[in-house]
Amino acid sequence: MPKIESIAELAGYKREDFAVCLGCKICGSVCTINDLSVAANPQALLLSLFLQRELTPDDPVLLYCTNCYNCTGACPWHIRIPEIIRALKGEMSLETPFEKAFKSSIKVWGRVYEPYVFLKALPFLLRGGYLAYVTRWKEYMNFHLPHKVKNMGHAQTKDSQDRKDREDRNTR
Amino acid sequence: MRYAYYPGCSLTGSARRLDKGLKKVFAKLGHELAEIPDWNCCGAFEFGDRRALVELSKTNLEKSKALSAAEAGVVAPCPACYKNLKEANSGTARAVYHPLELLNGDLAGSLNIKKDLKGQVFTPYYGCLLMRPDETAIGDKEVMERFIDRLDGEIGGTKVRAKCCGGNQFFINKWATEKLSHIVLNGSKGTIVVFCPLCHMALTSFSKNRKIIYFTDLLLYVTGDRTAL
Repeated sequence: MPKIESIAELAGYKREDFAVCLGCKICGSVCTINDLSVAANPQALLLSLFLQRELTPDDPVLLYCTNCYNCTGACPWHIRIPEIIRALKGEMSLETPFEKAFKSSIKVWGRVYEPYVFLKALPFLLRGGYLAYVTRWKEYMNFHLPHKVKNMGHAQTKDSQDRKDREDRNTR
Repeated sequence: MRYAYYPGCSLTGSARRLDKGLKKVFAKLGHELAEIPDWNCCGAFEFGDRRALVELSKTNLEKSKALSAAEAGVVAPCPACYKNLKEANSGTARAVYHPLELLNGDLAGSLNIKKDLKGQVFTPYYGCLLMRPDETAIGDKEVMERFIDRLDGEIGGTKVRAKCCGGNQFFINKWATEKLSHIVLNGSKGTIVVFCPLCHMALTSFSKNRKIIYFTDLLLYVTGDRTAL
């Protein structure tokens, strides 16, 4: 169970920031997930985080959030719920092999080099039936050589150092 | 005007057509897009750590400084890149633009128009990140409608213009993207005009025979660079 302080910090919040949630559930009313006929309740997720209740990886909001920001747009406090969900997904290791390949490409090349991501995630793409779309993806298949970014600034070192700091704090 | 240009990862690969089209359109308007040297990925939606995500865009903003004046700033066509750059840029004097913010105003008057859009129906589709959240959304949210209307094109699908196509779930839960994209496809009319590479891919993948084009394709069509849409 990821600690609330870690999740809040990752998403750029403090735990007390979630205390302002009015419980109006407008985030749930406007959530895109409703269109999937799946009940969405991002407010319950915020409350669970605030009360440090157990979270399950099968929460529909964690599984299906599309990062559409309907919730943030409607929230009286503009809470960036998709970013909290992203932090949770990362901490709970809920990323798919494709998402892992995407991040791996950024680590290796400094950019998302699509042929690399495609090959690295190929077993996942084959299993998932994605090759059925290849005929419609012809215009997307522009082969080009990768560019290896020389200067990533503080971005890469910061990510790993911050993670280490949080782990140290959580085990203390 | 000379703008620093942040193409982002997809415009160098799958959305190459958008990259090429945008450069042509800006050249027609007398603007230069100077690509930021050695730019790095903005992190898209894949970073749970907001500070790490912001650092990626701060690095790009730093690399862009030599290319353009503060008021010209950076142009980023991919809505996710644009959002990340704009957030990282918050509080600085430098500008971050989505091309739609620069292709506004009397765009039809500034371009050498050779064809109108009479008899054609379009759904201008903005999706999510150009419309939300308020802090990073584009200012003029009807720029595509105004352009199409000015050239006598018919506008449809207004109910779905800001609905989510589910593109972000494509490589996570494909069925979710399929269902959400079908809502957009079924609610749209005629040719769907997008700016987001991910929307383009999601809608193209799940539509049988609908025409899905970038706004730049439309601009190149009316200026005579493209013979068909």
